[in-house]
Amino acid sequence: MRLGLSSFLFRTTAAMLVATLAISACASPTQPGTSAAPSAAQAGPVSGGTVTIPIGADPTLNPWSPNAFVESLFINRVLFDGITKPGKDLAPAPDLAESWTTASDGLSWTFKLRSGVKWSDGTPFTADDVAFTFNDVVLKPDLGAQNRASYAAVKSVTVVDANTVRFDLSRKFAALPSFLAYNAGILPKHVLSAEPLKTTSFNKGTPVSTGPFKVDKYTSGQSVSLVRNESYFGPKPYLDKLVFTVVADPNTQVAQALAGDLQIMILDNKAAVDRMKSAPGLSVVARPLVQYYWLSLNQTDSRFTDVRVRQAFVTAIDRAAIIKSVELGYGSIANSPITPALAAYYDPSLASKYPYDPAKATELLKAAGWTPGANGVLQKDGKPFQFTMDVGQRGVLEPVNALIQQDLKKVGVIVDLNTMEWNSYIQKDVVRRDYTATVNWWTYPSDPDVFPYYHSSAAGKGFNIPGYQDPKLDDLLVQGQSTSDLEARKAVYKQLQQYTSEVLPYLFLWYPQEIDVLSTSLNGVPELGLRDAMHYAGEWWLAKK
Amino acid sequence: MTRVGFAALVTLAAIAVVAVIGPLFWTIPPEATNPAQSLAGSSAAHPLGTDELGRDVLSRLMHGSRVTLLVGVAAMLAALLIGVVVGAIAGFKGGWADAFLMRFTDGMLAVPAFFFILVVITVLGTGIATLILVIGALSWMPVARVVYGETLRWKTAEFVVAAMSLGVPAPRLLVRHILPQAIPSLVVSATLGVAAAILTESALSYLGLGVQAPFPSWGNMLQRAQIYVFTAPVLALYPGLAITVVVLAFNFLGDGLRDALDPRRRR
Amino acid sequence: MVVGQEVARFLFQRIALGALVIVFASALTFFFVNLAPGGPASVMRFDVTAEQREALIKRMGLDKPVTQRYVEWVAGAVHGDFGTSLLTDEPVAQRISERLPNTLTLAGAALLLSIALGIPIGLIQALRRGSALDHFLSFFSAIGLAVPVFWLGIVLILVFAVSLRLLPSAGVTATGDDTVLERIRHLILPTIVLATTILPTVVRFMRSAAIEVLQEDFIRTAHSKGLAPRVVVTRHALRNALIPVISAIGALVPRLLGGTVVTESVFNLPGMGRLALEAAVGRDYPLVIGLTVVGATIAVATTLLVDIAYTRIDPRVRLA
Repeated sequence: MRLGLSSFLFRTTAAMLVATLAISACASPTQPGTSAAPSAAQAGPVSGGTVTIPIGADPTLNPWSPNAFVESLFINRVLFDGITKPGKDLAPAPDLAESWTTASDGLSWTFKLRSGVKWSDGTPFTADDVAFTFNDVVLKPDLGAQNRASYAAVKSVTVVDANTVRFDLSRKFAALPSFLAYNAGILPKHVLSAEPLKTTSFNKGTPVSTGPFKVDKYTSGQSVSLVRNESYFGPKPYLDKLVFTVVADPNTQVAQALAGDLQIMILDNKAAVDRMKSAPGLSVVARPLVQYYWLSLNQTDSRFTDVRVRQAFVTAIDRAAIIKSVELGYGSIANSPITPALAAYYDPSLASKYPYDPAKATELLKAAGWTPGANGVLQKDGKPFQFTMDVGQRGVLEPVNALIQQDLKKVGVIVDLNTMEWNSYIQKDVVRRDYTATVNWWTYPSDPDVFPYYHSSAAGKGFNIPGYQDPKLDDLLVQGQSTSDLEARKAVYKQLQQYTSEVLPYLFLWYPQEIDVLSTSLNGVPELGLRDAMHYAGEWWLAKK
Repeated sequence: MTRVGFAALVTLAAIAVVAVIGPLFWTIPPEATNPAQSLAGSSAAHPLGTDELGRDVLSRLMHGSRVTLLVGVAAMLAALLIGVVVGAIAGFKGGWADAFLMRFTDGMLAVPAFFFILVVITVLGTGIATLILVIGALSWMPVARVVYGETLRWKTAEFVVAAMSLGVPAPRLLVRHILPQAIPSLVVSATLGVAAAILTESALSYLGLGVQAPFPSWGNMLQRAQIYVFTAPVLALYPGLAITVVVLAFNFLGDGLRDALDPRRRR
Repeated sequence: MVVGQEVARFLFQRIALGALVIVFASALTFFFVNLAPGGPASVMRFDVTAEQREALIKRMGLDKPVTQRYVEWVAGAVHGDFGTSLLTDEPVAQRISERLPNTLTLAGAALLLSIALGIPIGLIQALRRGSALDHFLSFFSAIGLAVPVFWLGIVLILVFAVSLRLLPSAGVTATGDDTVLERIRHLILPTIVLATTILPTVVRFMRSAAIEVLQEDFIRTAHSKGLAPRVVVTRHALRNALIPVISAIGALVPRLLGGTVVTESVFNLPGMGRLALEAAVGRDYPLVIGLTVVGATIAVATTLLVDIAYTRIDPRVRLA
């Protein structure tokens, strides 16, 4: 049979087109619909079942190891209880400690630990484990433990008796109980006293833990499965198994969730949210985060030391549009470092500050001495307003920078984008502080103590990335640390929010929300971000179909 | 030349024309964002629709073609340069130089190129110039082999020996007499080399190591489009199709040229 | 025996050269990676203080000069100790040996598929040279070469895993159900995708080799002797055509290994390719150099084996 070449070509191309159309049809959400709510508890929680959660890479099962990146913290929060944990209102709640008090001079905190807690190998948990974790691991400079910086104010931990420890401080530190709830699991002294951070059989194998679930099997590159810890000190966990499966690609996570292989996950790829909403058996919820995105203008550059320039930039950037197109609406505009998730402290009156207004921005820049020159580019003393922004390749940073570049162009400021691989970006912008402007984010424990990111002592080599130094701000920061009285702290941090929104040490961009996808048969998950919800894995349960 | 080869040539010429002068007519800037219009379907203003930031896909495709073709052709030229030099010297000098250079070539061929490119790019950063240099520096080996073979073959030919005995210096001998014989094979290698370079660039962009934002390239357009594969799969279709068509065309052109220029085929 | 001595000398020469290549490649990679800006991922984090960085760098021995570190590494490598991975504190040899079987399985399957499909297709094209079938197959295989690997992978996942639910979307095997059948199911899509990087080339080589052979005099002689066409083709043409094809296939193994990087990323397979990407991005210096050594060894060994096979099959070739 002689068929012409052209006929064959036509057929092949047609087949390819059909395939692509088939994909489009399957992928586009055609049903309108609300996302199904989790099925109401019928007779109450039932025991049994397995829940599978995706993580991005092999975890390191040691919360203090420098190799414990974000994929590790989900599983570490289940395995290793801390002295406190985030309460359902985000205030610190008892975990390994039952209660705590601070001394009248504010220079120590005493924690009364629970009795009868056992490690998964049967050894009793005592105050010695807490002392070991802090004195011999966290506070030892040459070990390079993660999160060390949070405990800069801690001199040492003293064992008062088998169930009581005291943290001795070098300065007042009201936030300590909250910080102890943030990735601060306690390590077993009897297993790790020799090499606390590098023991492979612990970090990549079967560690000894206190949490509601313990490690059953670790298959590198594939999954880590946990089983119920029968000697857990709290109420018996409902689930039989908790499996963390290693799925690096966010799209593959979506595909697996749609196939019913995952019961709970964070939707990293927000663009797939509509697809998830229209899938039966899955519910989609928005969760608060203690996180905000910012634009840092290096204060060693004299162009940016004028507060009017900073305010002008914030007014020129259409932050609502960024939230809509990049976060798909899951977020709100930020004007201070305190996030709405910290409901007790957050000041909602600042939410509508600096509305998007390019004309106003131009006025502010004019007041600062910048006038339009050739082709509308702003200039001062004959020099055009032009600079380079370093863009780290991670998350939403690339599209955000593209939008900011265009927004600033509209008011006559020319921004060149220098996109870099993340590792090199950190080397340049953080280690060497060799940058003019850059966008990034901070995530921090559930406490408004933002001292490390704003105090003048943290400029240069610390976390004060812009290098903004202001004695009035320093004063407010120290005040917030110095008292544990909730009302007093609220007042201080309200002032702090007002002040930072005026002087803009960082240009605040937005507070993101997290999108979680849950199977409709999964119940008992508190309304917290998934990282915090992991502390309650013992309360999760699966409804029987 | 075969019909298919000719069709490929025409296609490539058309693409080149669009790449060079298209943006003069279609003036929407590729980096102009318009969040209100994100992920819009095709319309009069945006025949191929818009991407997630409201940027015009057609414009990005056109500017992307410039970058993609630039990297492809330039990398191939770099590979040609290195390959010709290495192959010619090895073939002509013989002896020690031959052994060393050709074993070095074999060695470089044996190492998985992609691994190497990965490492080098993380060192030198991701500029377009680095990309061209790196892809070129790792694709010269087949060219060297070809030139080596041709040099060996032709250096004993009568006219070459005659020229040598007349005292023509070696470089001139190579450039004027020997290398021109290799041109048919080189042309074929070149066209196939561009195709390979384009594929490598797009694979690197997929991994986040190729051409970086804000420059659009077909490879990095494909990488961004991955995120929207569930809501707007056409975003991945356009650059993917473009890469496929161009690479196909270069391959067919290479085949066609090989058939046309191969002396044995002239029956 | 003269032949024995020749073979031995050839082998020795090639192995020595191969070793040289491996050393050269590993040294080059080591020095390059250490030149890279940035450092190990555990040090390059936003939330790490300057003093933590210094402490970590000291612990990892990265404050020593590059040349000293290379010498120390070589000293260890000679004893089989490839150093400790900076990102997980496990021995490099262990990390690689965990992942190696997955990559070898995938690459092996892709190679087998390419040979099993490529040789018959190339032969058919040669026999029907110039026909519409020939053109169609050329076009089809050229598309295979031209389509970006990751695009093809994602399209296949969408069609077969998400829409049709026929095949799994990722991973080496089903969690909690590790049977041979599941392993094979998980291997199907990645193998197809990886094979597209070399199958078209195999077809093309086979086609030109077969065309050359079919034009040879001895084929015409066989025909005129009255042998059945099929016998002529299989017994005489095929065997001769395979000779150059085999050596060409050997040269394609490095390309196959390179293709595993992207394929493993798309299908989320824990193999050496993905490990290489993580190691390069995370600046895990000991792991990078370990992987380069293993990769180069595989490539060198394959070309050597292929060349030996080549000399066995083709009596015209002498061991130069």
